[in-house]
Order: sequence, then structure tokens, then C-alpha cells
Amino acid sequence: MTGTTAALHRPGTVGEATRVLAELGDADLLAGGTDLVPALRAGTRRPRAIVALRRVLELRTRGVGADGIVVGAGVTYAELAGWAPAPGLAATARAVGSAQIRNAGTVGGALGSANPRGDLLTFLTAADAQVLTCSARRGPRTVPLPDFLLAGRRRGELVTAVRIPPTHGPQVFLKIGGRQAAYPALVSCALVVDRADGRVGCAFGGVAATPPRARAAEQFALAEIDWSAVPTGARAQALARRFGELVTEAARSAAAQLPEGPRDPADYRWHAVGVLAARALARCLAAPAGAEGPAAEGRGGGTVAGS
Amino acid sequence: MTAALPEPGRAGIGASSLRPDGPAKVTGTFPYAGDLALPGMLHARTLRSPHPRARIVGIDTSAALRVPGVAAVVTAADVPGVATYGLIGLDQPVFAATEARYAGEPVAAVAAVDARAARRALAAIQVDYEPLPPVTDPEAAMAPGAAPLHPDSPGYGPGGDHAGSGHPNIYRQIDIRHGDDPDLVGDVVVEDTYVFGMQDQAFLAPEAALITPAADGGIDMVTATQWLHSDREQIAACLGLPEELTRLTLGGVGGAFGGREDVTLQIHGALLALATGAPVRIAYDRVESFLGHPHRHPARMWFRHSATRDGELVAVQARVILDGGAYASSSVAVIGNAVTHAAGPYRVRAAHLYGASVRTNNPPCGAMRGFGVPQVTFGHEAQMDRLADALGMDPVELRARNALKAGDVLPMGVPIPGPMPARELVELVAARPLPPPLDPASPGVASGLALPGGRPAGADPARVRRGVGYALGIKNLLFSEGADDSSAARARLELGPDGVPRAWLHTACAEVGQGFVTIAGQIARTELAVEQIVLAPADTAVGSAGSTSASRQTWMSGGAVRGACAAVADRLLARVARALGLPPSVVEAPRRVLSLRDGEIIGPEVGARIPLAEALADGPVEAEYTHHHRRTERLDERGQGDAHVAYAAAAHRAVVDVDLDLGLVRVVSLALAQDCGTVLNPLSLTGQVEGGTAQGLGLAVMEELVTVDGVVVNPTFHDYLLPTIADVPDLDFVAVTYPQLDAPYGVKGVGEAPTGTATPAIVAAIRAAVGRDLRRVPVRPADLVMPGPTASAGAASPGGAETIGEAETIGGEDGHAG
Repeated sequence: MTGTTAALHRPGTVGEATRVLAELGDADLLAGGTDLVPALRAGTRRPRAIVALRRVLELRTRGVGADGIVVGAGVTYAELAGWAPAPGLAATARAVGSAQIRNAGTVGGALGSANPRGDLLTFLTAADAQVLTCSARRGPRTVPLPDFLLAGRRRGELVTAVRIPPTHGPQVFLKIGGRQAAYPALVSCALVVDRADGRVGCAFGGVAATPPRARAAEQFALAEIDWSAVPTGARAQALARRFGELVTEAARSAAAQLPEGPRDPADYRWHAVGVLAARALARCLAAPAGAEGPAAEGRGGGTVAGS
Repeated sequence: MTAALPEPGRAGIGASSLRPDGPAKVTGTFPYAGDLALPGMLHARTLRSPHPRARIVGIDTSAALRVPGVAAVVTAADVPGVATYGLIGLDQPVFAATEARYAGEPVAAVAAVDARAARRALAAIQVDYEPLPPVTDPEAAMAPGAAPLHPDSPGYGPGGDHAGSGHPNIYRQIDIRHGDDPDLVGDVVVEDTYVFGMQDQAFLAPEAALITPAADGGIDMVTATQWLHSDREQIAACLGLPEELTRLTLGGVGGAFGGREDVTLQIHGALLALATGAPVRIAYDRVESFLGHPHRHPARMWFRHSATRDGELVAVQARVILDGGAYASSSVAVIGNAVTHAAGPYRVRAAHLYGASVRTNNPPCGAMRGFGVPQVTFGHEAQMDRLADALGMDPVELRARNALKAGDVLPMGVPIPGPMPARELVELVAARPLPPPLDPASPGVASGLALPGGRPAGADPARVRRGVGYALGIKNLLFSEGADDSSAARARLELGPDGVPRAWLHTACAEVGQGFVTIAGQIARTELAVEQIVLAPADTAVGSAGSTSASRQTWMSGGAVRGACAAVADRLLARVARALGLPPSVVEAPRRVLSLRDGEIIGPEVGARIPLAEALADGPVEAEYTHHHRRTERLDERGQGDAHVAYAAAAHRAVVDVDLDLGLVRVVSLALAQDCGTVLNPLSLTGQVEGGTAQGLGLAVMEELVTVDGVVVNPTFHDYLLPTIADVPDLDFVAVTYPQLDAPYGVKGVGEAPTGTATPAIVAAIRAAVGRDLRRVPVRPADLVMPGPTASAGAASPGGAETIGEAETIGGEDGHAG
């Protein structure tokens, strides 16, 4: 806002929105405004034009199909928080910020801002999410989330939705921050298990510029865990511990580390994502097969979920 | 908490009257200073130095003045009166002129037709800075031979007599030597160094003022402040206006906690109003608020405590260094409090207490709830636990054994005035029932809400350990060291437009949330036997009420309201006595036979029973009264003297759960026993001690304004975390109510004492849970789980008795980073 006055555009459809973006060439997108409004007030963003998306009802849809779950970019955290078909997403959404932030903030906003500590990015990275975009010139495009985060939104492009491939198994999202509730994540960790093929997706946030996958830990889980005869007791504990160690190693060696803060030294972050990963795996191991879904969520700290 | 609440605005002292402004605040209609607006007003914004230290080579405002909609730009060159201001010494420039001394220091201000044009103009001001290396380490700033950071600064204190500290960067140093042998040492010795981070007052309604230029050449200002008359004095001097033309009215204040004791935007806004001849609204946003007011002093402290083998404290030595930042603010008074409280609420045979507040290029620090006492309370209470450990004694028993009682001699060589139930408090709090142990089957634990880190952290209950900790402290009440911080009040008993008698009260007491508006009404109802109270707006048309700080307004302005009301009652009763034809001896002292009761004047012996309305038919009765507290003394060169008017004590017990793997802390329970004097409003008292406790909790585990090379890096509520309702447990509060005999109704101030003790009690509980020596607040998760200097015990510092007081003796090691 400092220096210039931004023109406000209020399209009603995705088509209109992409046309406006194509004409403007350069505009900021406004959905919940939880990142843009503070940036405007602080003067760190000074757009010539703002395209407000609240009236684009197409962006506010969500659904489940054979190729997975599709969530519109305009869906808010509050809407996701109670959404039974996507328990992992729902658990993540419940952990975001305060009630006010959850009411305003959207999925598209999380992708657009790409805050490296963003809760949703960690979960979506673990879940192999794809980003669906649309532009007037090139039409629709589907991009793997890591590629989208690396390259950012293209000029004239609108994020319309994210798609999560179907999995069958527990999903856990854990995070820590400075107080008991309503806090930005210091670090976070997400685990998405597919019992069908034994794959475990593990991502962690708050360490690097985008959430890395812990590939060695994922390989370890794939090799060591038979999800048809889930280990228990000391064996489960040992697996979780080793899994956490591998995630700590992944964090330590991750590229593009975030700068160390006076209150969050890097070695603590590496340690903490390992602890969270071990806890997350322990929960997945303890989650009874077939009992997944919203009902399983909430036990012992509450973000075990299945889909 | 479902107890029936009394009807608002009916009761006298002792009842839980409700706040008259409560409904408006809760429903969102209360007008805070930032909500004020006038037609045609201009919007002002402030330009701040991005550099912690820079020479200002030049400022070019011509481009800013050409921005459409801009009405005026002011800089140091436009200050017509005194160029500097300050609470105690005038060392802070209205705008930085030749050198910016901290990051965030105002350099210019603009007024424009709207906020956007004002911001655009700020961006157009060209300031030519020549950055200089900032001095951000107080030990370096006070080292012998260190270059002065503000060579033009005057001395501090009344008449500048705090000057002559011997070093240009030391605001004030104090060296208290107590006992026959100040360097006496007992059999068992513990010593260590402690670090205390910078807390911010973080009041919710940012700074704001609305200034209207008046036809008489003066100004009318509505602003949110703690002390109208002190603001007026500083504003008038800088504007070159007589004080009577500088009229201030209190705007709605949304919290203060010390952060509004200093002038911030008032002079800037007034300069712009006078320059433009138009009303000016000047206001800060959250980031500016964090940069704009002084914070709580960060501290580095060394303590050595020694005791006999059976636990009698023998000697305390301390060295307390407060980082005052770039300008003096109240640093000279804060260090006075810190050093005189450094031995804590304990009897000591010998003490050697040294302290200094130091100028650096960090953000200025000044008043915040506790005013120098929370720093040393964190230190001396950590030491008492270590001493208990070394002695193999129970920490409560050690405290109880050494607790001060009324008449015990303080390190300043004077007896502590009573009541002083310190021992009773720590024993009371230790006897409160403990919370039940963590139950994995409970809903709170099962959901994770009741585990450290809350639900998303997923703590394993088997890896959560509980700890219990105690702290005992004292806090001085009212202004100290010779100050006569009197409070004035005017009262009038009159008939309202409906013919019903009512009391009209006028004071300059700043209501900042503490509840004076409630208490004043209760006092007037008690003294004048009426129900209706009219509280005139607080402004400078009446005498000074002094500052709303130092736990003083219930005592001081409460005393003034009581005195004014009593004088009104005396005059009315005398008038009635005269009308009744009673003898002159009764007219002179009418309370011999007449009294006010329930809206009537009664005198059974003379057969009088006159409704108040009838007695007031001849006209209203008005009186003014100024309340003074007992005189105190300045400290002499050995730190001896009767410096403080009175004290209040508090004891906290904290119970915490710690996630042993992640270092996350949940405060499970807090119990408080506090020395409260007579309670005028139990509900209001509870609010004060709960708030003070929560602020101490914030400092213990989360609140820290972090600077890197002098620049604040977290000036938002996204990054500066305050405790929420999920972080603060219910407070188990016991009020101990021995009356303070030299105070009106026997009151004591209550807002500050619990802030000092909550922090060390919580840190002690964390220590008990994890078994580490925590020497720094706020405690950070990494301090609890990562290997490093924090984990290793042992004395961190040399600082021997023979070298205490010399700048180079204590390394100022950060207890964490080492």
C-alpha cells in the first residue's frame, strides 16, 4: 500500500480470474488475506493490482474420486478441519494457527505464500500432493507440489486445487511451537502410510526452504515394516527410534536450511523433527488396521488419522 | 466461576463492584484512544532509523512535501522548545538530529490527509545515514575507557545528581554495603551468573493520540498514557508552550504495564497539529508499538549466597547489570529498585550489592510491572534453591527460616516496615493441595490438550516429567528515594438533574485497566453515603495524580479521593450543623453529633434526620485533597537509607510438566499467597494478581523481544508470543490481608508483586523436572534437551568478593550460549 494504490479486481469464475490475471500480467491474489494483508500493512508487498478470489465459488469445492481427494484452492482450514473423507488433512487443518486464522486462511493461500513453516505444506508434501493450476494462455496444468514450491506460481497462473492420491492407512501430522495452542510451527512432521503397498511418506517442515522428504527413513520403513503384521512393543519402539534418527539425519543434511534463530538453534530443529517423526511412526504402528478414519483420530495427542 | 456477580455501581469498599466500563469493553464499544476521530483530521506517521547507530549526515524532506495530500513534515529542526525529553533526565531527542542511537528511533514525522499519503511521504524522505558500529553489550559499554555513546547527555535525576557515576555510559551505579563485614562469607557457598531476556509490555491497544490546535495557541490532546501531568510537562517544554496551554485528557487505555509511562508519539503529533493548524491523529501499529516504547531491562546478574551449615543466610553478594538501551527513560530508578531488592525477602548479616544501568545502542528500556524487581527475584530465588540443595534442606524450609519479618534490618540499614508476612506466605502456598498426577486416562491427556505443547505436539505421557518449584519475593510500593509523588482529587456532592444526590469525582488518575474507576466510586459511596457516582474524565484541569505505576494508585489516588470526600462530608455536615443552630463547637467538628448514612444526615442526639437532597438544596459542596505518602530518603554513597515507603510480599508455587524429549513445558498449576493489605474489591484484586501471574509466566517460558546487533527481530504477535488461555492455569490464590497502617483503609498495591515471583517459581519447577541448572529466562526448549553449556553445572563466573563492583570482573557470560 505504501507508495501506490492497488486496483482491486473481483472475478466470479476461474475463467474470469485467469483472464484478469492474463491482462494484468502482475497481480497479487487475495483469498483469506492472512499473509497478504499483514504484508500490505507492513509495506513488504506493494502490488499494482489485487485479484480477490472469494467470489470464485468453483475454488471452494472439494471432493473424493478414484484418483484421490481434490480440494479447491479457496477451501478454508475451518472447512477442512471437520472433513471426514480427508482425516489427515483435517488433522493438519485443526493444528493451524488460531480459530480466526482457520476461518480465513485457505489451501491456495498456503501454496501461494509457501511459508517454509506452513503446516499444510508439510502434510501435502508427505502425501505426494499435486497442484492444479490454470492460466488463460496455457490452460490447466498439474504439477507435483515440490516442483511447484521450487518454481513458484507462474505469471498469469491461478492455483485452482490440490490433489492427493488415494492411500489406505494412518496419517499423522505433528508440530511444535512456542505455546500450548494457536502458534506458528517451529518444526512439523507428517507421515502418510499406505498399508496396501507399505509405502510411508514422511516430510518435515521448519528446517529448509521447502519441506523435504525423509527418503532414507521412508526406505527403512518400507523395508522393515510388514503392515499386515504390525510390530508392537519393544520392536515397534526400536523401529520408531531408528526412524526418528534417520529423519534427524535427513534434516541435518537437508539443502537450503532456514537461518538459525536466536530461539531455535538448528541442532534443536533437527533433533525435534526426529522426535516428532518417531512419535508419528509409533502412532501409525499402534493404529489398528481398518479402524482408520475420523474415529481413530484424537488418541494420545490426536492426529492419527487414516483415509 | 459461576458465583453471582453483584450489581454494578452500588456497593462501597470491600464489595466486588463491577467495572463501570466492563460491558463496553467486553462488547467492543469502548472507545480506545486509537478509535478517536474528528472531521478533517490529518493522519500522522513516524519515520524511524533502521540503524542501531548512525550519524545523520542530512535529511531532505522536499520530495515528501511534494507528495499529494501531505500537510507537514517535521524533523529535529522543527522542535521549537527543548530538543530532548525524558522521564527523569532529558536525554532523548524528540527526533534524532545528528545521530540515531537505536534501531527504531524517530527521525521525522509527517501529517497527511490519509494514512496512505502519510506512508507515501515517509518513503519519500531522504535520510543520509552514515552507519556506525553499535555497542550492544552493556559490559563493553561500561568498560573503563569506553567511548561515550551520548556525549551531550545531561545528568539524571532531580538536579542531575545521579550523574557522576564515573562513566559516561553508566546511567547510575549503586553499591550497597551492609553489615560489620560486608565481605563475610558463610560455611556453604553457592554462586552463579544469570541472564534475563527483554520482555515487552505488549499491551493490546497500541499507542495513539488525537491532538487539536486551540484558538488560544495551545493544544488539546487526548492520549492513552499512564501519567498525564508528566506527559504535559515534557510536551510543553518541547513545544515551547506554557503548561496551562498544553491540555491533556486521558483517552481509552488498552493496557500499559509501564510501557506508557514514557512519552512516545505525543510530541510528534502535537508538532504536526501546530504546524498544520488542523487536528492530527497519530497512532502506532503493532510493529511500531514494539519499537516505540521502552521495554523491560534485560539483565546479567551474578550472585553469591552463603549460609551456615544449619541454613541461616549469612551473606549475599550481587552484581546486577541492566541494559538500559540508548536513552535513560527510568533506568536510574529501575537500578535503584533492582539493587535494593537484590538480597530478596531475607534477613542477611552481610551484603554487598552492586548494580549499574548502562547505556547501549539497544532499544531503550524503562518501566515495566515490577520495575527492576523481577530481574533480581529470578536471581535470588534460583540461588535459594541452589543453597537448599547444597544444604540438603527443603527449599520452603530454607525460605521460611530466613524470611524477613517486620523490623528486620534491610541491606540499606533500615528496618523493613510491616506488615511483612513473608514467612506465612511461603508456608501457606506450600500447604495448598497439589494437582493430581498426570492421568493417561483423563480426557485432557488423551487428547493431548493437557500435555506439554498441546494437542499437535503429540507428547508421550510416559516421557513427561513433573516438577514443583517455589519463589518468594518482595516489591516496594509507591515511588522511592525521596520522591513526593502526591495525588490530587476533587470531589463534589451535588444534586443531579433528577434531583437525586450524587458524588462527582475528578482526578487525573490514568485508568489503564487496573480498576481505579471502580475503586474511586466505591470509596465515594463509602464516604458520602450516595449511590450515584459521576466520574469526570481524567485530565490536566485538576492536580496531578502521579503515575499509574509502582502499585500506587489505589493507595495514592484512592487516598486523595477519600480525603476529598471526607472534606466534602465535613463541610456539608458543618453547613447542616450551622443551619440547625448547633453550637460553634459542633459546627467546627460536626462529626461529633452528625453523620452521613444511606442518603441521610443523622444526629440522634440532636434529633436530626435530614435527607441529603434537602441538605444539598442550598447548593453543592466541593473539596480538593492532595494525598502524600510518608517521606523517604535518598541512598547515601554506601547505599544506606530509608528508600522505600512500603513493601508487599508474594509467594508462588508452580507445578509444571516437561516433555523430556522436546523440552516443551506446560504450567499445570499455580498457587499464590500474597500480602494484599485491606481488600477494597475482591474481584478486582483477583484480576490484578491473575494478570501479574500470567505476565510472569510469559517471561518464564515464552516472552522475549529478541535483538540481533541492536535490531529487534520479532516485533509482531506472530513472533512475540504471549500466553493464551491454554497456557495459564487457574490460579489458586490466597489473600493475606493485614492492613498497611499508613495507607488509606490499610490497602497495599497488588499488581506488581506476583509478576516477580511467578517467573522464578516456574523456572524452579522446570529445574526440578529436568535436573538442569537453568540460568536464563525465558527458558527455551533447546535449553532443556540439547547438550551444551546449559547442561553443565558449576559457577559460570569469577566475580569474587574482593573484586565485586569492577566492570571487568564478571564476564557476563550468557548462561545458555556461553
